[in-house]
Amino acid sequence: MKSPRLASLWLLAGVTLARGAGDLLDRVQDVLTWSVLEDRMRARVSGTIDAEQYDLQRPVPGVIQTAGSTLFSPRLAVFLDAQFGRHVYAFAQARADRGFDPGQEKFHARLDEYAVRFTPWRDGRLSVQAGRFATVIGSWTARHGSWSDPFVTAPLPYENLTGVWDAEAARSSTALLAWSHVRPGLPAAIAATEKKLRIPIIWGPSYAAGVAASGALGRFTYAMEWKNASLSSRPETWSEIDGDWAHPTMSARLGYRPNEMWNFGVSASDGTYLRPSALRTVVPGHRLGEYRERVLGQDISFAWHYLQVWTEIYTTRFAIPLVGSADTLAYFVETKYKLTPQFFAAVRWNEQLFSTIPDRAGPVRWGHDVWRVDFAPGYRFTPHTQLKVQYSLQHGDSGARDYTRTLATQFTVRF
Amino acid sequence: MNAPPLAARPRSRWWRRAILPAALLVLTSPGARAQVTIEGRIALPKTRTTPVVTQRYEIVTKGGVFSTNPPLAVVYLEGSFPKSATPAAVQMTQKDLSFQPSLLPLQVGARVEFPNLDDTYHNIFSFSPAKRFDLGRYRANETPVPSVVFEVPGLVTLRCDIHEHMRALILVLDTPHFVITDPEGNFRLTGLPAGRYTLKAWVDSKTTRELPVELTAQGSLRVEFPAVPK
Repeated sequence: MKSPRLASLWLLAGVTLARGAGDLLDRVQDVLTWSVLEDRMRARVSGTIDAEQYDLQRPVPGVIQTAGSTLFSPRLAVFLDAQFGRHVYAFAQARADRGFDPGQEKFHARLDEYAVRFTPWRDGRLSVQAGRFATVIGSWTARHGSWSDPFVTAPLPYENLTGVWDAEAARSSTALLAWSHVRPGLPAAIAATEKKLRIPIIWGPSYAAGVAASGALGRFTYAMEWKNASLSSRPETWSEIDGDWAHPTMSARLGYRPNEMWNFGVSASDGTYLRPSALRTVVPGHRLGEYRERVLGQDISFAWHYLQVWTEIYTTRFAIPLVGSADTLAYFVETKYKLTPQFFAAVRWNEQLFSTIPDRAGPVRWGHDVWRVDFAPGYRFTPHTQLKVQYSLQHGDSGARDYTRTLATQFTVRF
Repeated sequence: MNAPPLAARPRSRWWRRAILPAALLVLTSPGARAQVTIEGRIALPKTRTTPVVTQRYEIVTKGGVFSTNPPLAVVYLEGSFPKSATPAAVQMTQKDLSFQPSLLPLQVGARVEFPNLDDTYHNIFSFSPAKRFDLGRYRANETPVPSVVFEVPGLVTLRCDIHEHMRALILVLDTPHFVITDPEGNFRLTGLPAGRYTLKAWVDSKTTRELPVELTAQGSLRVEFPAVPK
């Protein structure tokens, strides 16, 4: 077992070094900040180094891509934040890893996020942003980084794969039910790689390219974005512009914050979930734009002293000509509590339920209902180093077994 | 090698031999307090760059430049002093997403209150060995104002768990005699008792300069700390 040993060595070395390097990492932060023109233009480079170790049962959950039962997934994320005067802010995120989602690809580097934001007024009533950036939907994206998320994996709505494919249009309920593993019939040649064809309702932070406007008016906040890919689109498509923006996705969130403790939000999104290259598979007489993903969501968060609670619920409709509307509802409730200044624990309940579609013998559920419970204790050794362990138990969409468990460990160095 | 002690004026040997022992006896007794003053200057490091506030996933961007204090030093007198009453509580506020002041010297046993003057949560914490604590998330006008008593001498680095750029330092000292320099490094310590002490200047977590000093009643002393070697 090469990867567990590698992960253990990395963890041991990291903790040992980090315990004596807190001051050094503070100085690194200072060294990686530059300014000119009397501080009017400032830039800062920061980052995280993550070492993730997964111990998995098959079928491997979510968007993790591996053929084995263990997976070591290191990642370097480098962030650039730059302030140009009072009105212009720019940011970028580059990553080097084995795939956007944990997997076994060759180690490579990507530019995942880059955007420029213009804020004309100082009171924050309006900001306009263009580039590639996280979706405005929900509230999870604000804490999806490895340092701030108490869990290693994303909540279920952001990673549980449905039976809908984005590279091919389902032409019948039989096809969709096979793709969803509700009925057999998936061609053997595809079975081994079909995970790369399926899409969730929201793919992680959804760093698709586009423009956005956001701001605050009193206790209300608003954000809307116009992007080149739907919420469910996979990372490879986030920078694609081969469709000439003919099928953009519009998303928006309206938030209300009565005080610092509570935050309420409602979100909506509408866009085409099929990739432009899937046009050849569309049912004759129908257009790509008819294959729509419509999402309605609500999020609530609460924070008080050592307690934080988040919940999000999404109802999603995939419109499939000739098949009908494939609806699904997904939600999670997550809480984190700081037990000591350095030790915290989090628990999350996730569930996704599928509605029925018309079939020859009557209505049939178009997916296996799934629930998952995640436990995650975490410890911050220093202000720059953190260890999280996540144990997950999942039921549903499991094929050979009813329950699958996942053990994930993540050690992070922040600089 | 230690430098010879700097002595407060007047410097006459005759005066010192005849009067100093008796004066020291009186002035170091509980309740006695001479009015010795030390003035001086210490070279400070270059001003740090104003931090960049991370706003990648913030819907509301208010813009603007956040100010921080320029580098400052803490000058203090180290020695044996009579136990004083519990030091008065002091405040370190969070305003405009920064700590004010960003450097706070304290006497051991002092209580620090951390009022939040922003319209958003702050979560102040420290993992420093001299004081580990986490105040949790608290809002403006919260009562009682979150506070911490610092019982162990040492350097405490404060951070905010929500706003990554926020950082401040509390220097907990086992002496009642300390002062913060001005941005040019000038300082003035007053109301000091006579005697032999070590005058220290804390510049940053890696740099503390020190000089032996000898203070006599009603005297004053001018001290120039040598420049910090590069």
